[in-house]
Amino acid sequence: MTRITRRTALQTGLAAGAVLAAPSVVRAQARPSPAKTVRAVFHGDIPTYDPIWTTANMAAYHGGMVYDTLFGIDGKQDPQPQMVGKWGVSDDKLTYTFELRDGLKWHDGTAVTTADVIPSLKRWAARDGGGQHMMQRVKDISAKDEKTFSIVLKERYGLVLDVLAKTSTSVCFIMRKKEAETDPMQKVTEVVGSGPFTLNLQETKPGTQYVYDRNPNYVPRSEPPSGIAGGKKVNLDRVIFINMPDAQTAVAALQAGEIDFYEVPPTDLLPQLEGDKNVKIEVLNPLGNVGYIRPNFLHPPFDNVKARQALLYLVNQADHMKASFGNSKYARTTPSLFGMGTPMENAANTDWFKGGQNFEKAKQLFKEAGYDGRPVVLMQATNIAIMSNASQLLAQELRKAGVNVKLEAMDWSNVVQRRSSKAAPDAGGWNIFITWGGGTATGNPILLAAHSASGDSAWFGWPKDAKHEEMRNKWAVAATAEERKAIAREIQDNAWNFVPMLYYGQWVQPAAMRTNIKNLLPVPEIIPWWHVEKT
Amino acid sequence: MIAYIVRRLLSMLPVMAIVALFVFLLLHLAPGDPAAIIAGENATPANIAQIRKALGLDEPLWKQFLVWVGSLLQGDLGRSIFWGDPVTILIAQRAQPTASLALTTLSVAVTVAIALGVTAAARPGTLLDRSVMGFAVMGFSVPVFVVGYVLIFVFAIQLKWLPVQGYTPIAEGVGPWLRNLTLPSIALGMAYVALIARITRATMLDVLAEDYMRTARAKGVAPRPMLLKHALKNAAVPIVTVIGIGVALLIGGVVITETVFNIPGIGRLVVDAIARRDYPIIQGVIIVFSGIYVLVNLVVDLSYTVLDPRIRY
Repeated sequence: MTRITRRTALQTGLAAGAVLAAPSVVRAQARPSPAKTVRAVFHGDIPTYDPIWTTANMAAYHGGMVYDTLFGIDGKQDPQPQMVGKWGVSDDKLTYTFELRDGLKWHDGTAVTTADVIPSLKRWAARDGGGQHMMQRVKDISAKDEKTFSIVLKERYGLVLDVLAKTSTSVCFIMRKKEAETDPMQKVTEVVGSGPFTLNLQETKPGTQYVYDRNPNYVPRSEPPSGIAGGKKVNLDRVIFINMPDAQTAVAALQAGEIDFYEVPPTDLLPQLEGDKNVKIEVLNPLGNVGYIRPNFLHPPFDNVKARQALLYLVNQADHMKASFGNSKYARTTPSLFGMGTPMENAANTDWFKGGQNFEKAKQLFKEAGYDGRPVVLMQATNIAIMSNASQLLAQELRKAGVNVKLEAMDWSNVVQRRSSKAAPDAGGWNIFITWGGGTATGNPILLAAHSASGDSAWFGWPKDAKHEEMRNKWAVAATAEERKAIAREIQDNAWNFVPMLYYGQWVQPAAMRTNIKNLLPVPEIIPWWHVEKT
Repeated sequence: MIAYIVRRLLSMLPVMAIVALFVFLLLHLAPGDPAAIIAGENATPANIAQIRKALGLDEPLWKQFLVWVGSLLQGDLGRSIFWGDPVTILIAQRAQPTASLALTTLSVAVTVAIALGVTAAARPGTLLDRSVMGFAVMGFSVPVFVVGYVLIFVFAIQLKWLPVQGYTPIAEGVGPWLRNLTLPSIALGMAYVALIARITRATMLDVLAEDYMRTARAKGVAPRPMLLKHALKNAAVPIVTVIGIGVALLIGGVVITETVFNIPGIGRLVVDAIARRDYPIIQGVIIVFSGIYVLVNLVVDLSYTVLDPRIRY
């Protein structure tokens, strides 16, 4: 009989341990180092992998990881080439010629060519408001060879590069020919981009976590990063987007070091985070958001311009901001139609704002509008605190001006359904709803759907004003920035007369992150993960 | 017995049919539009209408219902509006965290609750009894999410003993699996402990007052065997009934607990689906949960024959 010595037992034990531990070791080796992995929580879940099919911001966050754009907005809001190397415009300003830069490859290893770019442009333009606006002026988009293509215009259009570079949704992401030829009304399901990250489908669990690995074949531009322009050099091995809907849990997870980044910590929890030495707060989108109060032009009383003008004298933006943000440094008032801090910000026709809240004036205007005391339906999205607070305060302001307000509480999903109804307010329609939009988009008369005043085809509320539309088109073809600013002043001057909507304030959303997360680029609408370091 | 089981299983069919009808009508008659959510905030009304058409949401309600029921009869719960994945696969992917949470909660809660209930019944009217009942009232009154946040603050943030959130599959080790489930199980189990402890105490007090218990005491049976062997066995039927009924409480609690502790289970799946109006997922999960609830109660009914030989089907 073989004697089992202590040494044999020890060796056997170690061997057994090694065998049992092998799967874990293999797993650990296959995973990128935690030191180069960022776990990030954002404002929501990714609704679909197709950032063209939806205008949801989370889809654009996903798009920014895996896809690339022809142009990108830099830190000064100017468009700069990204996938494009050389480009030029003809003397008559009607033909734009672009040459793709060297080294562009899809995640499957094949080269990016104009055969991919042109259908991508067409599919994006079929869905995006800015793209549609541009395509109305496009005569032809054609390829000269695999790397060169041109956009030929029917008339001068000054926004070609701006539209291709914009960060507001839908962003003009370039897809492979195969996906780009998908019907624009159907979503793309395969995710093969040419961007700085690849989607790791093995580790991704839809609705729970989305795993993005560094694309080793990505060739960044040589310029320093600025906005979403410049070199997209990736310093991380992996970024994990975690869907964590509970804000309190996300804040606790950040403090415990279980996540590295939280995009939308609630304002009331900021002091808790500011007191944590392992956490820092940064404003990544300095233009933030602008809160919209949207009246319905189709039904009384807001089918009458006097009633809409009355709203201007009712709303005290400072009170609205205080209701949601306290005395926060993150909120402010905004008399400009284009938001504060944007290139188009101006002070035209803002006496109503300077004069402050004036209930008597509002009452007088409602009277002149022939308001007969009928209920005014104000939709209150109770599950979104800022909108809910603004709705309640607005209801009170309306009541003070003698308006019979019917505050209808519902969740946001319900608001987005009901706001599309053109029925009378007492038959399932509405009079006012409250929402918000990005500061960058608000600053652009063309790219924000809510700026359109084309009546039936306009955004919810269906404002109609021919002069407004004429000036928006004039703005779009303006040759210089100064010319655009001048037209923007005219647009605003007119807008505060017919009042397509009004604002209840502007605020920035500070993001919270562990102190070892460095170099996050401040970009409106998208959070770029290139250039970021975890120290 | 087999005939009884078959009868009960057949009786499930009309129950599930009624559940299916109610779930479908409740969801589709309630306001909310998945197409508008998919399209996003900057979408025009025309965009939303196009998406609604592409998803078949512009079809008449009766037609949508017939299509869904037809698929259901073939065991197909449909596909997620947002992801396009089959609902059965989405539920299967999320089943392990939910089953783990339910299992650990049930194990801990039943053990603790019966121990507390028996202890309280053994010393009625004492400080211990009042403390147990006070705890039971509190456990039943405090919402799951409040208990969850307090546990997170104390044990994850302050003491750093356990993680705040997340789930580790059991395949990655029992230790990490349990670490992630400890706080959620306690939070979810509180109400369950309260419910079972109260019914255990009340039933035990009734049983302890029976003549045969007095006889056992007179014959000199020691207190512990008397409580555990004689009284608890005779009190088991109502306790098991409450455990079965409490599964509904557990299912409701799972939805909240998984959200608070960020556990990627079926509860989270349905919460996210409700926010987006992803009808097929909501319908599928409710159908599955209803089926589980009915089956659990069948198992409870069958267990009576084991616990009480007088009961026969």
